[in-house]
Amino acid sequence: MNHGPLIFLAAFFALASSWFGFVLTPQMQLGHLQQTNTLVAAVTYPIARPGGAHQGLQVYRVNGCASCHTLQLEQTGTVCDAVLAEAGTNTSALIAAIRQVKPSLSEAEASQLIREIPRTVLEGASRQTADFAVKTLSSAGAKSMLRIRPVGPDIGRGWGRRRTVAEDFLFDYPVLLGSQRIGPDLSNVGLRQPDLNWHLRHLYAPGREVKDSSMPPYRFLFEKRKIYQSLSPEALRLPPDLAPPPGYEVVPTTEARALAAYLVSLHADAPLFDAPLTPPPAAPSATPTNPPSRSAVVSAAASTVKPQ
Amino acid sequence: MNSESNQSPPSLALPAEPAAPPTPVPIWLMVLPFVLVYWGLVFFDERGGWFNPRVYAPYRSLAELESYQPPTGGISLERGKAIYDNICALCHNTDGMGKPNQAPPFVGSEWVLGNLNHMIRIPLAGLTGPIQVKGQEWNLSMPAMGAALSDDDLAAVLTYIRQSWGNKASPITPDQVKAVRGQVGNRTQPWTANELNAIQ
Repeated sequence: MNHGPLIFLAAFFALASSWFGFVLTPQMQLGHLQQTNTLVAAVTYPIARPGGAHQGLQVYRVNGCASCHTLQLEQTGTVCDAVLAEAGTNTSALIAAIRQVKPSLSEAEASQLIREIPRTVLEGASRQTADFAVKTLSSAGAKSMLRIRPVGPDIGRGWGRRRTVAEDFLFDYPVLLGSQRIGPDLSNVGLRQPDLNWHLRHLYAPGREVKDSSMPPYRFLFEKRKIYQSLSPEALRLPPDLAPPPGYEVVPTTEARALAAYLVSLHADAPLFDAPLTPPPAAPSATPTNPPSRSAVVSAAASTVKPQ
Repeated sequence: MNSESNQSPPSLALPAEPAAPPTPVPIWLMVLPFVLVYWGLVFFDERGGWFNPRVYAPYRSLAELESYQPPTGGISLERGKAIYDNICALCHNTDGMGKPNQAPPFVGSEWVLGNLNHMIRIPLAGLTGPIQVKGQEWNLSMPAMGAALSDDDLAAVLTYIRQSWGNKASPITPDQVKAVRGQVGNRTQPWTANELNAIQ
């Protein structure tokens, strides 16, 4: 042991440099992360998960969901589309503008495109090209919009609208990003499947809800008990071959309900500065597509109540 | 004998150590590290984002990330919807149909689709007393829910109300809101329908 101090120093510097890189630098970069505002709508993001969903994260943790599922989406790039929303009045100028934006279109195809409004005129372009297209179409009297769209294999699978960012997990402890995708990515599962009861049935019998699912059933999160007086409202509705014997019912435990609430609460789709996108148009309440029967019912109900 | 005495053990006379002639380090080998360091710095400058925590793959720099931000300015219906759902929807409902005994509807309301000067004044100072909406009389009172909103935000939410759920009216611009806010001044007294009808 002639070189004791030297070996000590070498080991010290090797460990210190990895500590700098893996612990201190990320802490300096993201350690003080705070709530931020979404783009366009400028609302606070993220909002803390509701109580049940917050407990569900711990159920997710103890059952090892993170060993087969990830909570992180990748994105390989961002593209822009130019969408034609309204044609305006000057059709011939608009056809010329469309052909200027997209020279491969013939005149007949361009006029066909105008009839199918709203249509995407330019797809997958850079920001500059799309901005120019929007300007060209607008100056022809049409109403045209720019759409920013993240792309990548994960997004192509329909697993989300953008990559996940650090803000998405601000209120989660621990953050269970996961590293293996034996099952699908769950960072947006609440968007794909917002039905709490579907998640409960899926935890009880995965193969019934998803064909060829390799997920094991989590029946220990459910309780088979004797029906007292009448069927409980939360009892699972199961197919006959899975149903418990007559006089019994299968009800989810608190853990199962918390886990399902957590899964429903998973949606990382808000447009943020570090993950820009154009939110999908036409939220249901913002469109005049209410079936007439419903609004008629509402106005009928309103007219029967005497306002004070 | 003689030949034996002449024989000396071979190990005593060591052969000369092999020596390399003094050769200078090739000049390209001295230049190469500098070239590699330069290339590394350029690579980092282009793709590293300078340790900005908001920049990571697929974005290479803050400038690239900023180039993909959606256009700002103008009236945003998304912003209007966010404010509406936060503030107005508590009483007027998310579908704009109002709530019985609580708030009149916006859908098809002549106060929403009609005179801009009336509509902008209501959230700025509130409204009280009897008012006719779509042929029904309502007698309630509304506080100045929009007084604390900025001109842009108030214009966004009023435009959202005028252009949603089947309403199709012209948008309200921040300048119009600013002008009306100037006319209203410091008024905290809620309007009445008669007062509003007197304003053109």
